[in-house]
Amino acid sequence: SHIYKKNRDVTKSWKGKTEQLLRVDDHDFTMRPAFGGPAIPVGVDVQVESLDSISEVDMDFTMTLYLRHYWKDERLSFPSTTNKSMTFDGRLVKKIWVPDVFFVHSKRSFIHDTTTDNIMLRVFPDGHVLYSMRITVTAMCNMDFSRFPLDSQTCSLELESYAYTDEDLMLYWKNGNESLKTDEKISLSQFLIQKFHTTSRLAFYSSTGWYNRLYINFTLRRHIFFFLLQTYFPATLMVMLSWVSFWIDHRAVPARVSLGITTVLTMSTIITGVNASMPRVSYIKAVDIYLWVSFVFVFLSVLEYAAVNYLTTVQERKERKLQERFPCACGIPHSKTMMLDGNYSESDANSLAGYTRNQMAPEEEKQEKMVVHLALSNESNSSRKRGSKGHVRLRIIQNSHAIDKYSRLIFPGTYIFFNLVYWSVFS
Amino acid sequence: NSKREIKMRKLDSTKVRPLKSEQLLHIQDHDFALRPGFGGSPIPVGIDVQVESIDSISEVDMDFTMTLYLRHYWKDERLSFRSNKNKSMTFDGRLIKKIWVPDVFFVHSKRSFIHDTTVENIMLRVYPDGNVLFSLRITVSAMCFMDFSRFPLDTQNCSLELESYAYNEDDLMLYWKQGNKSLSTDEHISLSQFFIEEFSASSGLAYYSSTGWYNRLFINFALRRHIFFFLLQSYFPAMLMVMLSWVSFWIDRRAVPARVSLGITTVLTMSTIMTGVSASMPQVSYIKAVDVYLWTSFLFVFLSVIEYAAVNYLTTIEERKQLKKRGKASGTYSIDAVQAMAFDGCFHDTDVDMDLPAFSDRCEENESPAHAASISNVDTTRLKRKRSLKGNVGRIILQNNHVIDTYSRIIFPSVYILFNFFYWGLYI
Repeated sequence: SHIYKKNRDVTKSWKGKTEQLLRVDDHDFTMRPAFGGPAIPVGVDVQVESLDSISEVDMDFTMTLYLRHYWKDERLSFPSTTNKSMTFDGRLVKKIWVPDVFFVHSKRSFIHDTTTDNIMLRVFPDGHVLYSMRITVTAMCNMDFSRFPLDSQTCSLELESYAYTDEDLMLYWKNGNESLKTDEKISLSQFLIQKFHTTSRLAFYSSTGWYNRLYINFTLRRHIFFFLLQTYFPATLMVMLSWVSFWIDHRAVPARVSLGITTVLTMSTIITGVNASMPRVSYIKAVDIYLWVSFVFVFLSVLEYAAVNYLTTVQERKERKLQERFPCACGIPHSKTMMLDGNYSESDANSLAGYTRNQMAPEEEKQEKMVVHLALSNESNSSRKRGSKGHVRLRIIQNSHAIDKYSRLIFPGTYIFFNLVYWSVFS
Repeated sequence: NSKREIKMRKLDSTKVRPLKSEQLLHIQDHDFALRPGFGGSPIPVGIDVQVESIDSISEVDMDFTMTLYLRHYWKDERLSFRSNKNKSMTFDGRLIKKIWVPDVFFVHSKRSFIHDTTVENIMLRVYPDGNVLFSLRITVSAMCFMDFSRFPLDTQNCSLELESYAYNEDDLMLYWKQGNKSLSTDEHISLSQFFIEEFSASSGLAYYSSTGWYNRLFINFALRRHIFFFLLQSYFPAMLMVMLSWVSFWIDRRAVPARVSLGITTVLTMSTIMTGVSASMPQVSYIKAVDVYLWTSFLFVFLSVIEYAAVNYLTTIEERKQLKKRGKASGTYSIDAVQAMAFDGCFHDTDVDMDLPAFSDRCEENESPAHAASISNVDTTRLKRKRSLKGNVGRIILQNNHVIDTYSRIIFPSVYILFNFFYWGLYI
């Protein structure tokens, strides 16, 4: 008898128990609940799982969230003694009516489908439905970079029904501002998430009417530490390096020129590096201001040395012309200077230029004494030392050009002032 | 009562009942594989587009990505239903598989998709008289032929083209529903690098030799590039590098390492700037406006290096001539040492192979023997070096500015400024 019964079962196709229970075939679920009647209210609840990435170049953000819908469909009510809900997976969704919520201004989105579609449907005996799914969505966010990297960005994710206007479907936040929850560990590496909050509005489309739109807004504040380390600190160091050139002897032409030009090259590289990962905006960013002002400082230090060198050369020429005009009178001081120069292993023609008639006048007496001493003693060392004592000071004073002296104070002072202004404006 | 219910339910399960919408719209009664008005006049389908955003413009791929709401309006009398309120019925995407919809596609599109989160972003609205509104949200990447000969001071014209795939103009007439006002844009549509000048709609006919004439609708827009980014990134650094190369004309020509390293490092930086610009550009076969500027600046910097090579060479020749002259007067010196002095500007504190005999200028010719006698016990080499240095350097300092340098200080900047006037006047 067992086998007989089974044979009979095979010829008849049983409907799925759910369909029998929910009487899915009795109704036309392509039409919304209360079709032709008042708008059906659909409550929305969101739990944000993570903010995956924020892209400045594309000006978008990627978010993974659990999206839950709550509505009442009396066609799905079933008799139950325990008042417990029935839970179904995603395969029932195709057979009943569900709200067609979409993300306005989204670029790409998908419902996760590992291991099966991440969709849950829970039907209560009175016809209330809870419909939940897990979605990753990439949506546009207009970013303003005029204070980058000391900026805050406000982004929002917008939910709206695609087909049903506000006369057919009323979308609302189920618990007001508490409808939006976030996982406790939600965090981004480059940003501090300041707050999440919800709003709702009506949106008008000229062809299709008014729609309810829900907003998930959040504010992100950028962590500046990375940019301090990557951009600001190297730029400041380069500017300081360029100041080293003012303390180097102005006679060391190759050294000062290559120092200046290499710091310019490094600044140029830093500037290119920053712009590589940024969108090409048409306004100036805060980091651009800092880098370009630092570049100008470094550039000016090169120009400053060009001026020093040029003026030194001009002065030299004047000295030379002056000396040639008085050939015999300058014979005596020349010999003295020669003696003195002979004691200095580092003297050169430039410093000789300093010995004009005017400058020599007060020192001539000293020099004559020196010459006497020199003639008496045969030790070049002592004479050198004595000569050096008398004239080292003179030598060093004329070794620094006036421009260099002023630059040692002006450049650092101006740069520190610029930093004070910059950080107080942008912080 | 319950017995009757169960009995009724049993009866119901054997019968297949059509869905209410299908009943209402008489879907089973008609064959919706055939277009409305099949065999008769072409069916007019109105199109309305709302552009949500232009996501990106790619120069390298020469395409653009746009997200838009595409709406079709047509009348299908087979879908008319009785209604006393004259209100439309709204359905979601599942009904479109059962009725006829126009098969519009995007000509010259590379990739496109209809968004499908949470369900397919499709709307169908049917009016009692059979008018249908069919709306979709689509993201499409389409080709745009770009001309970069004026990059980055260029304006690009791109267009998105809609056409029916199967039905030519005898069967389906595609038209803009409200003329030029059919195209609307979201209020905050903006791109970071471009300024969107205008959106306009146009239509035309397209001929395919195998299949006939088709109606084609165009969404045209013009994009003007913001130059500020390129000013900051390319033009300004290039200008600064050229100015830095002029610094070399003011530096003493005896400072050979300094001037050469200045020239060659500015050449290196210009080269880096040029590489940086070409990285994000397609490899076109014509010259772009930014190329013109960067290559001319590179030429200026290059010429400043060549200029110093000329100055140095001529200085050497000059020194040799002078030394030949002097050599006749005193007869004892070495050319190498003098040349080294000329080139180094005597900034050495140790001399490696200087072995200078006495050498003097006008001033000291008279006194050189006397000096030699009186200070013979002083370090003679150093003294002599200093003396000869002083003497010879004086002569060299007099002619310290080579005439080429003097002219270059004026010629290079003025020619560069002239070039800038021409360039900006031509392209802006």
